[in-house]
Amino acid sequence: MSSQPKVRLRGLFKIFGSDGLAALEYVKQGLGKEDLLAQYQHVLGLQNIDVDMQAGEITVVMGLSGSGKSTLIRHLNRLIDPTAGEILIDGEDVMKLNEDELRVMRQTRMSMVFQKFALLPHRTVVQNAAMALKVRGESEAVQNAEAMKWLDRVGLQGYENHYPAQLSGGMQQRVGIARALTANTDIMLMDEAFSALDPLIRTDMQDLLLELQQELNKTIVFITHDLDEALKLADHLVILKDGAVVQQGEPQGILLNPNDPYIEDFVSDINRARVLKVRSVMGKVKKGAKYAGDVQMSDNLESMIALSNGETNKIYRVLDGDKVVGQLDMLDLVRALVPRVSGSKG
Amino acid sequence: MAFYDGLFEKLGLREWCGTGKSDAPLSMSDLLNQSSGADAANSGPVFPFPSLDNLNESCANLSQTRDVTKGIEDGFLAAKPALKTVLDPITQPLSWLLDSALYTFSAVPWFIMIPILLAISWFSSKSKGVTAFVAISILLLAFVDHYDVAMQTLSIIFVCTGISVLLGVPVGIAMSKSDRLERAVVPVLDLLQTLPTFVYLIPLIFLFSVTESKLYGVAIILYAIVPVIRLTNLGIRLVDKDVIEAANAFGMSSKQKLIGVQLPLALPNIMAGINQTIMMSLAMVVIASLVSAPGLGVNVLRGIRNLELGVGIVAGIGIVLLAVILDRVSKAALSRVDMTHKTH
Repeated sequence: MSSQPKVRLRGLFKIFGSDGLAALEYVKQGLGKEDLLAQYQHVLGLQNIDVDMQAGEITVVMGLSGSGKSTLIRHLNRLIDPTAGEILIDGEDVMKLNEDELRVMRQTRMSMVFQKFALLPHRTVVQNAAMALKVRGESEAVQNAEAMKWLDRVGLQGYENHYPAQLSGGMQQRVGIARALTANTDIMLMDEAFSALDPLIRTDMQDLLLELQQELNKTIVFITHDLDEALKLADHLVILKDGAVVQQGEPQGILLNPNDPYIEDFVSDINRARVLKVRSVMGKVKKGAKYAGDVQMSDNLESMIALSNGETNKIYRVLDGDKVVGQLDMLDLVRALVPRVSGSKG
Repeated sequence: MAFYDGLFEKLGLREWCGTGKSDAPLSMSDLLNQSSGADAANSGPVFPFPSLDNLNESCANLSQTRDVTKGIEDGFLAAKPALKTVLDPITQPLSWLLDSALYTFSAVPWFIMIPILLAISWFSSKSKGVTAFVAISILLLAFVDHYDVAMQTLSIIFVCTGISVLLGVPVGIAMSKSDRLERAVVPVLDLLQTLPTFVYLIPLIFLFSVTESKLYGVAIILYAIVPVIRLTNLGIRLVDKDVIEAANAFGMSSKQKLIGVQLPLALPNIMAGINQTIMMSLAMVVIASLVSAPGLGVNVLRGIRNLELGVGIVAGIGIVLLAVILDRVSKAALSRVDMTHKTH
C-alpha cells in the first residue's frame, strides 16, 4: 500500500437544487435528506464523504439505488461538481483545475465504463475502442494498433469492424472496457458496469476484470448495487446509504462485523460460505493442536466444508503459499456462517 | 345621434372630442346608408361594441380603424429606406444565385441535364426504383413540353433549399446549445410557420422590386427554413445523454463532441428536416409565382386567372410529380443515413 492514496475524497457534499450552498448549512446543522427535500426542495446527493482509494486496488462503492453511488463516481472526474469538499488525485486538488486542464485530466488520467455502455453507435468497434486516443490526437496507426491490442485482450478479435448494435450486451461492454483500457489511464471508473448484463455473462466479466487487474494493477473504482459482486471484486468496500458512508473497510471484515442494521440486512441474504475466506475466520497457531490437513488462506469456507466432509471437530493448518499463518477450527467456521444479529433488530 | 355620445358627455370630454362631426361618408357602408336615406346610428345594433369606428361617431378626435392600418403602412414605408439599405446588399447574392441557377438549368441542354439529375438521384438514393421513377417523371414532363418550367421550379428549389440548410443547421445547433436562444427563436419559427403564406409576400413586395428574383427567394427561404432549424435543434437535443456523458468523461472538447458525436447522431433528424424544407420550398415556389417566380406555378396561376382548366391541371400534375421525385430521393437518402447508424 502506498503512502499516499491515489484518490482521496475529503468532506465531500453534494446538494442538488437552486441554492446548494445555503442548503449545505442546514445539512451541516443536521437536517436529514427527507426534511431537506420537504422544507427546502433540495436533494441531498452526498454528505460528508471521506474515502481514500489506494493505488492498484479495486474500491467498490455499494448502495441501493438513490444512495448516491453514481453521483459519487461522477465527482472523481467532475462530471458533477461538488457543493463542498475536496477531491484529491495524486494529491492534486481536481477542483482547482480550469476547463482545459480538466479535459486533459479526463483524457490522460481517468477512463470510465458505463452501465449502458454508451458506445458511439455510428462508429465501428475498433473506432470506439480508440476513442480516447483519437480525442488526444494520436495518429491513426497508433489508434488502431492500441485498440486492436485491447480488443484482443478482452476477447473481441474478429469483431473490430462491426457496429456496436450488432453485438450482444456482454460484447458491447467488452468494447466499453477495451475503450477504457486503450485510454491507458491509471484510474478506471466503472459505473455499474456489469449491472445491465445477465448473471452468467456478469460472472464472466467479473472474472475478466479480476484477471486484467492482476496484470495491470490499475486503481479501479467500481460502483454496484450487488453485494455478491462487491464482495468478489473489492479490496476496499464502501457502503453508501442516503448519500453518506455507513461503513467502509476490508469486505470480509464488513461481512463479519456489520456496524449498522442496514448492512446487516444487506449481508443476511448472501452465501457466506462462498464469500468468506479462510483468512477471515482463522485463529492463531496454538501449540499442540492436531491438524487434519493444510489449507490455503485464500480458500473459501465452502471448499473447507467439502474438505472436512461437514465434520466440526477438525482443525486445519492455514498456509499462505508455504508459510504457516494460522489455524482454522471448523467450529469457528460454522459459527461464522451465521450472520450476527444486532440487538436493534429485535 | 351616435350611441356613445352620452358616455363622452359624462366623462366631460365633449370639448376635447370636438363637436363638429363631419357629415362626409367615412366608409363605403356609410355612403350606402346615406344614399339609402337611413341614419347610421339607428340602423346599427342596439348596443354597438365600443370599437374605434363606433366611438369615432361620437368623438371625432378619436382615430378610426382605418387610421391604424394607415399608420402601419406609413410606419413601414418610413422604415423602408433604412431596411432597404441594410437588406439589399445582404440579399443581393441571393438574386445572383437564383438568376445564375435559372440560367444554368435552362442553358444546359436536356440530353445532358436529365442524365445529371438521374445521376444525382442514383447517388443519393442508391435505389433503382427511385431512379427509374425520376427518369419516367422527367421524360413525361418533357414530353408535354413542361421541361423548361419544371427545370425553373427545380432550380429555385435547389438554391432555396441549399441556402435554408446552410443557414438553418447552424441556427439549429446554436439553439440546441442555449436554452435562452431556443426560447427566443421558437416563437419566431412558430410565427413563420403559421403566418399565411400570402402575408409574407405583402411586405416583401414593398421592400424589394418585383423584377428582382430575391423577392421570391426570400419568401421561399423564410417559409422553408423552419423545419431544418427545428429538427436540427431537436436532433441534437435528443442525442443519448449517456453517449454525451461518455464523450465528456473521455475529455472531448465541445468541437470534438459536436462533429464527432452530436451531428452524426442527429443526422437522421437533420435529414428529415431537409426533406421537409424541400417540400415546403416547393409549396412556396408555386405561391411565389404571384410575385414573379418563374416555373410551374406561373402556369397554375394562368389556369386560375384565365380559367384555362387544362393548363392549370397539367401544371398541377407536374408539381405533384416534382414533389414525389424530391420526396422519394431525399427520403431514400435519409434511410441510407439511418442504415449506417443501426446496422443489423
